[in-house]
Amino acid sequence: MTNVSPPRVIFVDHPVGRTFGRPGDRRKQEEILTGALAELANFTEPGQIRDLHCQWDSGGSRSWEEELRTLLLSDR
Amino acid sequence: MALEYLPIMAQSSAPKPPRVLVSPSKPSWCPLTKPANESRVALLTSAALRLKDQPPFTPREDLSYRLVSSDPAAGDMVIDHHSRIGAVPREDPEIIFPRSALAALAAKKLVGSLSPVHVSFMGGIRSHKTVEQELAPAIARDLAKAQVDLALLVPY
Repeated sequence: MTNVSPPRVIFVDHPVGRTFGRPGDRRKQEEILTGALAELANFTEPGQIRDLHCQWDSGGSRSWEEELRTLLLSDR
Repeated sequence: MALEYLPIMAQSSAPKPPRVLVSPSKPSWCPLTKPANESRVALLTSAALRLKDQPPFTPREDLSYRLVSSDPAAGDMVIDHHSRIGAVPREDPEIIFPRSALAALAAKKLVGSLSPVHVSFMGGIRSHKTVEQELAPAIARDLAKAQVDLALLVPY
């Protein structure tokens, strides 16, 4: 996102394809959407990125990155 | 530190050349005219998502788009995008296209109203010029027709 110029960017630190959380978690979907909408008024110029400080694993593990890398590179 | 997707995607698409990032030729900034709780809101997705009874997207350079009803009761959603990440979002497309959550926020008056339709198209298209000159303006016209104030794109 830093290399292109979208007007406003909300960063959600979740695996790609799971931006709004885990399947079936409606509360998380609403929480992220509400957070994104609340940030809108804070953008003052193009190119800014607002971080919602989401964490995929409640313990802070980033093992999902390796799982995702393996998935994206599978069956090449 | 955010995961760097671009090197992975470059490795994934080899021997095809890596994707080129292209910025729009014109500034895309528009000032907010209303707060969210007074705005009509639409979702956009690049997941090639559609309602089950809509025509499928055709990989990979499909430049069409679908208007998807914002009513959560409008029917099951299907993801046509060819990405390998699809298994989890296919279990629950709302994790990339939170149609029900947005409707819930409208019911709670946290957003002004729902656009009658949301928009879906195919991500990963390499014909950037056609996206900018044809696809994006066509979508913008439909959003303007629906009197949308805010469009939230969830990249896929």
